[in-house]
Amino acid sequence: MTDTDSTTTGPLGPEDITADSPFTLPGFFDALAEGRLMAARCTECDTHLLPPRPACYGCGSRAVTLSEQPRTGEVISYTSVNRPPSAFDHLAPITVAVVELDSSARLTGRVAAPLEDVAIGDRVELRVCDPETVDIDPDFDLSYEEEWPIHVFELL
Amino acid sequence: MKHRNYSVAAVGANSVGSGTKLLISLVYDPYGMSTAHLIAVGSSPLGKTDLPGRDLFSTALAEAFEGLPDPAEVVDGLYVGAQSERYENQIMQGTLMAEWAGLRNVPAERVEACAAAGALALKNAVRDVRAGVHDAVLACGVEKMTAGGTEGATNALGAAFERALEQRSGITAPATYALLARRYLHETDATERDLGRIAVKNHRNAVDNPRAMFQQAVDIDTVMDAPGVAPPLKLYDCAPVTDGAAAVVVANDEVAADLQSRPDTVRVAGVGSAANNLAVAERDLTFVEGANVAASTAYEDAGVGAADIDVAEVHDAFTVCEALLAEAAEFAPKGRGIETVEDPEDRSAGWTDVRINTSGGLKARGHPIGATGLLQAVEAYEQLTGRAGKRQVADADTALLINEGGVADAHTVATVLTAND
Repeated sequence: MTDTDSTTTGPLGPEDITADSPFTLPGFFDALAEGRLMAARCTECDTHLLPPRPACYGCGSRAVTLSEQPRTGEVISYTSVNRPPSAFDHLAPITVAVVELDSSARLTGRVAAPLEDVAIGDRVELRVCDPETVDIDPDFDLSYEEEWPIHVFELL
Repeated sequence: MKHRNYSVAAVGANSVGSGTKLLISLVYDPYGMSTAHLIAVGSSPLGKTDLPGRDLFSTALAEAFEGLPDPAEVVDGLYVGAQSERYENQIMQGTLMAEWAGLRNVPAERVEACAAAGALALKNAVRDVRAGVHDAVLACGVEKMTAGGTEGATNALGAAFERALEQRSGITAPATYALLARRYLHETDATERDLGRIAVKNHRNAVDNPRAMFQQAVDIDTVMDAPGVAPPLKLYDCAPVTDGAAAVVVANDEVAADLQSRPDTVRVAGVGSAANNLAVAERDLTFVEGANVAASTAYEDAGVGAADIDVAEVHDAFTVCEALLAEAAEFAPKGRGIETVEDPEDRSAGWTDVRINTSGGLKARGHPIGATGLLQAVEAYEQLTGRAGKRQVADADTALLINEGGVADAHTVATVLTAND
C-alpha cells in the first residue's frame, strides 16, 4: 500500500501497518520526500490527523483513511525560537508557526521568514527540504530519521 | 489482605476470532474504601544547588519525617515523579529513592508525564490508599535540572514535544507556550503587559515564601524590558530551571489517626487527570481542554465546585498558563484569566474569589520539573493547616492543584484538597 489514493479505511489490521504505509512515520516521510503531504482523515467526524495515525483523537473512531493534503494554508500562531536546542543553535532565531492547511489539518513548522514579517492569517505554502540542505546537526537524527525530509513554510 | 476491597463481580467468556478471552470484572467494594490524607510534607532547597537528585530527595524526606517514625514504619510503597534521566543519567529512580528512605522490597515506581510527574506520583499514591492497596504511600518528586546547564535542560525538556514534526522543527518549551500566548493575545483583549503582571504578582507572593527560589519582587518595567525568549514571551514569563525535590506522605484514616504528632492533616477530596494531544498544532490554542476535564473530574470527585476553591496552585510554567488555567478551572470567564493578578473585589463578574499561586508559583518558587506537582501540594498543605505565615489566606479550607506536562494540558492532573476539621 504505497498509493496515496488507497481506499484503505480503518480499523487497520496489522498487515496495513508497514513501513511503506503513510499510516507509519517511515511511509509518511517517504511520501513527503516525493512531495505528497499525507494526513489521516476520520470518516466519522472529518478530523484530519497529521501525521496519520490509526485512531481519531476527535471522536475515538478507528475508521480513518489516508488523504493527501493541500500545501497551502494560513498562520494560526507563530513565534521565534531564540534559544533553540543545541542541534539547531546556528539557525537561531528560528521562526516557527502553527499552520492550518486549506483542508483544516494543522501542523507546526519552521517559517522561512524573520519573525517581524509574519502575522496571524498570513498565507503560506509548504516546501519540502532534503535534510542535508537544512543544516541541522546530523547527530540530532535518530538512525531511522536520517533520510526524512524537513518541512518549511514560505510566505505567499 | 492487600486486595481485600475487591471482589469478582462477573466472569464470562467471549469468543473473538480464533481466540477466547476470559473476562473477569473486578468491582470496587466501597466498604473497604479509605479517605486519603496528606499527613506530612517536605521540600529541598530550590534553585541551583550543590546537591545531586538523591540528596535533594533526602532533604525533602528529612523535613517530611521530622517527628515521625522511620519511613519504613509508616509507608509501604513509593512513587517518584522524575521528568528525565538525561540530567543525571539515572533511571530506576523508584528503587533509588526507596533505598534512600530505608524502604526495602516494597513497590517503588518512577512515573513520568514531563512536568505533571509530581502530581502523577501523588495521584497514584492517593489511588492506592483509597483502594486499600497500601495504608500509606510516599509520593515524591525530584529533578536535578542544572546538571547539564541551560543547554542540557533545553534538550531534556525538548523530549516532551512531538518528535516527528515539532522537535524536528527546532521547537522548545518556551516556543510552544509562545504559540499559545500569541494566539491568546490575538483572540482576547489581553496584552503582553497583562501577562507580565502575572509574573510580577507571583514574584510578590514568593517574597513571603521561605521555600521559594526567588524571594524577591520584580516590577513590571523589569519584566517588560527583559529579553525575548520566544516572543511574545520574555525572560520573566518563563519559570526558571531549578534543582529540587519534594516529598508528601499520603495515608489512610488509621495511619493518619495514629500519627497524632501531626493532628493537622489535609484530606485529598478529589482527583482527576486527563491526557490531551501531544502536538501543539492539534490543540485548541486558547482553551486547555484536558485541564478543564481534569479539574471538572476532581471537583466532581470532591463534591465541590469552582466557587468553593479558596486557594489554587496552578501550573504557571509560563505566564500565559496561569491565565489559561484560571479559565479551564472555571475560576474566570473565557478571555479574562489575566485578572488572576487582581484582588477578588476588583475582578470582572464571573470570577471567583480564589487566590492563585500564593507560593509564588512555578515562576518564583521554582520549577524542578518532577517535583513541581508536589511543591504545589506543600503550599496547599501549609495554607489549609494555617502554616503559611504571611502568605496565609484567611479561612482557606479548600484548595485546587493543577499540574501539567508537555505543552500545556498534554497531560494534566488536578487535585482538590480540604482542611480536616
